[in-house]
Amino acid sequence: MSLRLQIGRVGAVLVLAFAALASRSEAQVLNSGASTITLQAVLNDSLTVSLSSSAVNFTLTPSSATNPGSLGITATTSWALKPSVGSVKVYAFFASSTAALTDGAGDNIPSANFEISNNAGPFTALTTTVPFGGANAGLLLSTTRILGNNRSGSHTDLMNFNINLTTIPSLPAATYTGTLTIQAQAL
Amino acid sequence: MNTRKLSRITAVALGLALATTMASAQALNSGAQTIALNATLAESLTLSLSANAVNFTLAAGAAANPGSTTITATTTWVLKPGRTAVGVYAYFANAAAALTDGAGDNIPSSAFFIADNAGASTPLTNTVAFGAASGGWQMANVAITGANKSATRTDQMAFNINLTGVQIPAANYTGTLNIQAQATP
Repeated sequence: MSLRLQIGRVGAVLVLAFAALASRSEAQVLNSGASTITLQAVLNDSLTVSLSSSAVNFTLTPSSATNPGSLGITATTSWALKPSVGSVKVYAFFASSTAALTDGAGDNIPSANFEISNNAGPFTALTTTVPFGGANAGLLLSTTRILGNNRSGSHTDLMNFNINLTTIPSLPAATYTGTLTIQAQAL
Repeated sequence: MNTRKLSRITAVALGLALATTMASAQALNSGAQTIALNATLAESLTLSLSANAVNFTLAAGAAANPGSTTITATTTWVLKPGRTAVGVYAYFANAAAALTDGAGDNIPSSAFFIADNAGASTPLTNTVAFGAASGGWQMANVAITGANKSATRTDQMAFNINLTGVQIPAANYTGTLNIQAQATP
């Protein structure tokens, strides 16, 4: 083999090698810097109470222990709570313990004579001081412990009502009106 | 110096712990939902008697002809504010003929006496809210105050027919005595 031929072969190999390298150099990806987007999704805590009805009537018999309300009312409490909340409590209360219902002429039915049976439990007078309303004018209807699996949940309280007149036998004939309030608290 | 730093760090830590506790103890309250209550105590006034019949065995001209039994009238009321009194009355429909034999012979109401709750025996000679003129008697008058707008009263009645000066023939005399209550005004 002549020297010229050998040089030619070497040259050809070198050309091919350079061509291959150049081709590889053109296929390499080019990345930009990473830009970030901050995501924030807020689930606000909430606590609501809704009532199946908003009026109850009573036909009173003097001195009678049993003067039932015309209907039961269901309070539905719904919540979405922060992890730090330990319980949800539902309260019934009046603004005044001495005049839960009144005839407007100075004759009153105290909250101690107004009773609620919650979810078929015993009738209980509204004589406790609760976070809302007048002193000695409330009743804790229910307590729901908040655990990992019920931070978003609901609870129903079916309330039946009664006015016990045994301790106020001298109540005069009249129409007595009042406002019972239902409210929940998460703590 | 180290002690001061440690104190400051402790104070800051305590402050943070307190703030955290306060934040977690904050109550979340629902809206207040109201229920309108309406209770009606109707006005009432009732009177009931322990018995409905009294017999007398009469002796001509005698002042004392007592009835066979006493009768208790129980008056029960539930009154509206504004009522000031409850009266209980005994009366006949006819003063001249409280009892009659049906043949024109009568015992007048003035000869018929009631002793209420062991009080004095009193003839029915007044004009009262019910019945005939001069044919009645108000047995009781209860003043209504704030304490007794809903209450009960009893009147035990003992009866007598005084035939002094009453000329009547032998016969069977019958009549109807009414007991009735009234709340005023």
